[in-house]
Amino acid sequence: MNLDLTAEEQEFREEARTWLRDHLPTEERPPEGDEMRAFDLAWQRTLYDSGWAGINWPTEYGGRGLTDIQQMIWYEEFAKANPPFTLNNSCTFVGNLHGGPTIIVNGDEEQKGTYLPRILRGEDVWCQGFSEPGAGSDLAGLNTRAEIDGDHLVVNGQKTWTSYAHVADVQELLVRTDPTAPKHKGITWVICDMRTPGIEIREIRTMSHVTDFCEVFYDDVRIPLTNVVGGLNNGWRTAMSTLGFERGTAFMADQVELAATVERLIDEARTRVGPDGKRPAIQDEELARRLAIARAEVAALRAMTITGISRNARTGVPGPEGSIVRLFHGELHQRVYQLALDVIGADALRLTPVDGEGVWTGPYLQSFAYTIGGGTTDIQRNIVGERVLGLPRV
Amino acid sequence: MDLLPTTEQDEIIATVRSQLEREFDLHALAERDGAAQVVDDALWQRCAELGWFGLGMAEALGGVGYTLAEEALLFAEVGAHATPGPFLPTVLGARLAALAGATDLRDGILSGEQRIALAEPHGHGEASAGATVSGTFRVTDHGGAHLVLVLVDDTASIVAASELVAEPMASLDLLVPTAIGAVSGVPALSHLDGAAGLRLRATVLVAAELAGIATATADQSTQYAKDREQFGQPVGGFQAVKHRCADMAVRAEAATSLVRYASLAVRDGHHDARFHAEAARAVAAAAAVDNAQINVQNHGGIGFTWEHTAHRYVTRAQVRSRTVGTLRDALANLLAQPSPA
Repeated sequence: MNLDLTAEEQEFREEARTWLRDHLPTEERPPEGDEMRAFDLAWQRTLYDSGWAGINWPTEYGGRGLTDIQQMIWYEEFAKANPPFTLNNSCTFVGNLHGGPTIIVNGDEEQKGTYLPRILRGEDVWCQGFSEPGAGSDLAGLNTRAEIDGDHLVVNGQKTWTSYAHVADVQELLVRTDPTAPKHKGITWVICDMRTPGIEIREIRTMSHVTDFCEVFYDDVRIPLTNVVGGLNNGWRTAMSTLGFERGTAFMADQVELAATVERLIDEARTRVGPDGKRPAIQDEELARRLAIARAEVAALRAMTITGISRNARTGVPGPEGSIVRLFHGELHQRVYQLALDVIGADALRLTPVDGEGVWTGPYLQSFAYTIGGGTTDIQRNIVGERVLGLPRV
Repeated sequence: MDLLPTTEQDEIIATVRSQLEREFDLHALAERDGAAQVVDDALWQRCAELGWFGLGMAEALGGVGYTLAEEALLFAEVGAHATPGPFLPTVLGARLAALAGATDLRDGILSGEQRIALAEPHGHGEASAGATVSGTFRVTDHGGAHLVLVLVDDTASIVAASELVAEPMASLDLLVPTAIGAVSGVPALSHLDGAAGLRLRATVLVAAELAGIATATADQSTQYAKDREQFGQPVGGFQAVKHRCADMAVRAEAATSLVRYASLAVRDGHHDARFHAEAARAVAAAAAVDNAQINVQNHGGIGFTWEHTAHRYVTRAQVRSRTVGTLRDALANLLAQPSPA
């Protein structure tokens, strides 16, 4: 147990801070469409060119080969640099944090060589094709079919809740390749080129007014068998490693950013007039208590994140304990924005964008996703109960 | 950066755990319920011989040479076993005496021969410590004590127990004997005027004990959910129970991680050490009280009995969340701190 940064980590922090001061974009992120895609990919390319992409990825695939602690330090410095956009609110999220890491662990050399550098260089946008209208929490009940035809899979069916599908190049797609096998055994994880004929995308407007959410329809979509990752009918295991990353380290940036958000909220509470119309909000006893609890809880979140990194460093891959942090983080994130609306008084009635400076109501609406996406909190509780605590499955 | 115990630290935990399980069995201790002195002198001296009381004190000060981090691991185990006895005033009293250069006093406490109780201000009257001690105090573990450690804000004193006469009250936790006493101008045997560092350590150790309570009650509920069958299956298979167990594990992990972080931040003198200590206490107090309460519910009828240990954690959590200040104090203190790193 120690809180020490090595000389190398300390130096890394200094370099990150200096670089961010000089290179952080000042313009706001375009909220949607091709402009958004271009903005996110340009930033990814800038990061790559300066050595800040794939910090904890292996060097042979273009990463820096550094530690998760250094990855966390980068996120911390980014959050402190007062950026005009939030880190994970980017169409590069799936490539960097799900698809890429899954290929690093499960992909063959050709897949690694083809896809990983393109993710880091900001050449491909990835999206996720897991959920279906009839397979949400019961993901293994998915029905999108893929039949083998020569050296191709032919896919028919529908995916939903696919963020950034409309601007994506590549999709991590779960399909049923053996309908006769038990439901967890007949699934395959495959890389799908989003420009393949037979794919139709419809955008879904969300409650936070963001339109990067999509449905994807597949009509005889042909995917080469060489795109299968982790083996035919072995997709559930591959998907579990993807979700392991999602529940383990993918939200590290959000977790770090939440600490900065709480500090900003405390500043707001110091300067804004509180509910009595006279004193600053922070002098209101109820708000002060909730702000103090939020501050303590984000400190706990950071410590839990470091505990998770310590565990990963010993085991090599994220374990089910990641669901503990994910669960705590999702609900804390929501509590923070619920509190924010109480701190800002009448401004709680003014709609803001999800991203940008001094915005609270947009992120509040967006915060509802934090206990649904990547497995609802009910599913996370099942995972903690069954896979961490060893309680019987239902 | 690493927040998991090293192999050596794991060994300390294992040693403490086996000693507590053997010597501080809660069912056996039940016969001491309501006694003014719960832990007998022989057992207390065996703890002393294991080096527990000076575990986190530098060798130069007369301690074992480990740090606050290891001491916090010890206190987490004390919490996890709902262990009675004046561990906190003993560890803090030995340090105070060592820092004040009172080596005889220090050695008496470290050897377990000089038993020391804890006194904190009680009620809303004035209280002060320093060269003399005045005020109304709540004294815990007063039975058999030779000394009393008095903590008032950032000052701390050790006085002779004979000088601080206290009237026993019916204690919520029957294994934490409590008495109330008022004194005026009692001379201290030893004292520290600038005891902020001591109080910071006390905050971390109380938080560690609370985190231990949160962990043990989460474990107890999980075990019971596996063992207890109803409707033809272990009750842990039902989501209503399973999810409560999962939430308990989340609270325990949050408290444990933050306490470990805080113990290191205080040990290493980080500028945000105070913030982390107060945050750890706030998170751990809420986790301990919540988990201990839900643990009773998870056990159903058996959890409501005196025989079962579930109630021990409830009352201990309530007592410890009011030791060295309250949750309310912790929240006010941490909000007053500058932004953490």
